[in-house]
Amino acid sequence: MTAAGTVAITGLGLWVPGFPTTAAWAAGTADAEASKPIGTALDRVNRRRASPLDRALADTVAAAMQQAGVDVTTVPVVIGSSIGEAATMIGLLDEMWRHHTPMSPADFTMSVHNAASGLISISNKNRGMTTSLAADHDTPAAALLEGIGLVLTQHAPVVVACGDEPAPPTLVQHAPPWSMLTAAVVLAPFAEATPHLARLRVTLDEPATLPLDRFEPMLRNNPQIGLLGVVDAVLRRTAGVLPLDNGSGRGYRAVVAPGPAP
Amino acid sequence: MSTDPLRVTAYAVLSALGADRAQNLAALAAGRTGLGPPPFELPFVTAVGAVDAALPELPPALAPWSTRLARMTAQLIAQLDEPLRRARARWRPERIAVLLGTSTAGADSTERAYQTFVATGAFPDRYDFLRQHTFGAVLHVVSELTGAKGPAWMVSTACTSSGKPFASALRLMQAGLIDAAIVGGVDTLCQMTLHGFEALQALDRAPCRPFHKDRLGISIGEGGALALIERHGDARVLIEAVGETSDAYHVSAPHPEGRGALAAMQQALQQAGLRPEHVDHVNAHGTGTRLNDTAEAKAIGTVFENQIPVVSTKCYTGHTLGAAAAIEFAFAASAIEEGWIPPALGAEALDPEILLQVPTSVVRGTFRRVLSNSFAFGGNNVSLLVGAP
Repeated sequence: MTAAGTVAITGLGLWVPGFPTTAAWAAGTADAEASKPIGTALDRVNRRRASPLDRALADTVAAAMQQAGVDVTTVPVVIGSSIGEAATMIGLLDEMWRHHTPMSPADFTMSVHNAASGLISISNKNRGMTTSLAADHDTPAAALLEGIGLVLTQHAPVVVACGDEPAPPTLVQHAPPWSMLTAAVVLAPFAEATPHLARLRVTLDEPATLPLDRFEPMLRNNPQIGLLGVVDAVLRRTAGVLPLDNGSGRGYRAVVAPGPAP
Repeated sequence: MSTDPLRVTAYAVLSALGADRAQNLAALAAGRTGLGPPPFELPFVTAVGAVDAALPELPPALAPWSTRLARMTAQLIAQLDEPLRRARARWRPERIAVLLGTSTAGADSTERAYQTFVATGAFPDRYDFLRQHTFGAVLHVVSELTGAKGPAWMVSTACTSSGKPFASALRLMQAGLIDAAIVGGVDTLCQMTLHGFEALQALDRAPCRPFHKDRLGISIGEGGALALIERHGDARVLIEAVGETSDAYHVSAPHPEGRGALAAMQQALQQAGLRPEHVDHVNAHGTGTRLNDTAEAKAIGTVFENQIPVVSTKCYTGHTLGAAAAIEFAFAASAIEEGWIPPALGAEALDPEILLQVPTSVVRGTFRRVLSNSFAFGGNNVSLLVGAP
């Protein structure tokens, strides 16, 4: 693969501690109250089941879909996460090995990597395609490539969202810690004349011009930083080549250029 | 709208039935299940499909990544040695993708390490979450062992995990982003999964009996399958379409009428530009739970009425979770290549609600197209349409 085809970005979403919306992020003023994702986009039953990651992803996806004006009951949704529901897994292991108690069926059900995509699909009554994937620090690139493949073959919008909670410190003892983040873009077929926030393609060959060092280390260490970088660049209407990983991946990059001025 | 099919130039399979395609087919032809007692102690009774084939050691440079999951994957790659050599000569490494699926990733390694941690306060020296548990760990091993340097990801959508990479490959190929792909999936037995399905009261105490009137649940298995897909080359079988839908109903229960399953099968047929009468056999998801089998039977009946034989091969391998779709792709492909389908074990007394043809002896014939179903937690559905070249 050299460079994937160009697509449009028509919607954005994010959740970062202190910045629960793109508006808050663009304003640059942290809200200390916004330390935990709410999961407003999930119905009441599924919100109760959801992990913090699921809640953040649901709200991030909902914001991006609303901005793009896509049909939430049919739009394909691609979710990327490097470690997914690892925190839920630790709970299951404690039940099994530490407490010797029967496993909680609800916790087991929600330990799967596609918990978020399932909850989002159920809450939106979306009977279309959804997927969950992982590729360690290349997860943002993988999710974008899956999304681009869908756009180029189905000629319709696709939601791509990535997120990771902090890695459980018990399990990951020798890697730099990170804070939670989620980010989402709606990709759509690109046409100069069609309204869009930016255009995007993914490459392995072009040198980065927009380094990720504008983000604090606790965000930069998160394997999903690349997609937050894309959302941030589009919000700032910046053109350039962004790394999709923090140096721990294979070097995929996103080439972003802003669309027509609003 | 029909799309160009994927050309499968080689494939490999590993399951409780045996170490390769020949051993798997011999067991299927003989009606010999791979299900038996678990290889570890459990506080409840169940049957599992454990792989007892010898697994290769990884090369020294990959030793830190060595897990049962990685070694099972290496065993599958070894089966594809010659076709992979040909593919590397034909395609640039960065145009060969690695698109796999797993449900549990390295959970078996982590649960053993965590048991040690609980007992001693420290993880085993060689345990490394990032190299032995994460979804990317196996991608690294596959990339190193095969030389494939194209797009690489692991789909993890529970029991549809290894069906969806076929759809990803179709799209990437159609979009011109790749020329070849190693597609499939692997999953290992782990106690956490068995405890989880026990908590859901979904395990049968005896080997599972999909579609039987007294079926009581699933048997868990392990294994994997890989397919080599190439833009050109002598195809053994084709992936003609992949239907992907969601139930949008419940996180762990299927829609009672099989709504999402029905939509996935119809979507696959529509993508391929085919009608139900063009399909000769369904390899069902058929887990053996009351809810799944009833819902799936309704969906299959709606599409195909009672016209074609339907078998779930989980009575042989167990439900291999994230590997199931890939393993069942291999069985679907074999039905097309060999001209027979295996008997359904334990389905002699069919559930009267299951209005399907479920053969209990080998069926011989010409199978031009086989539809293979996989359904998962989250209401995730995949139907893979496999065809003769």
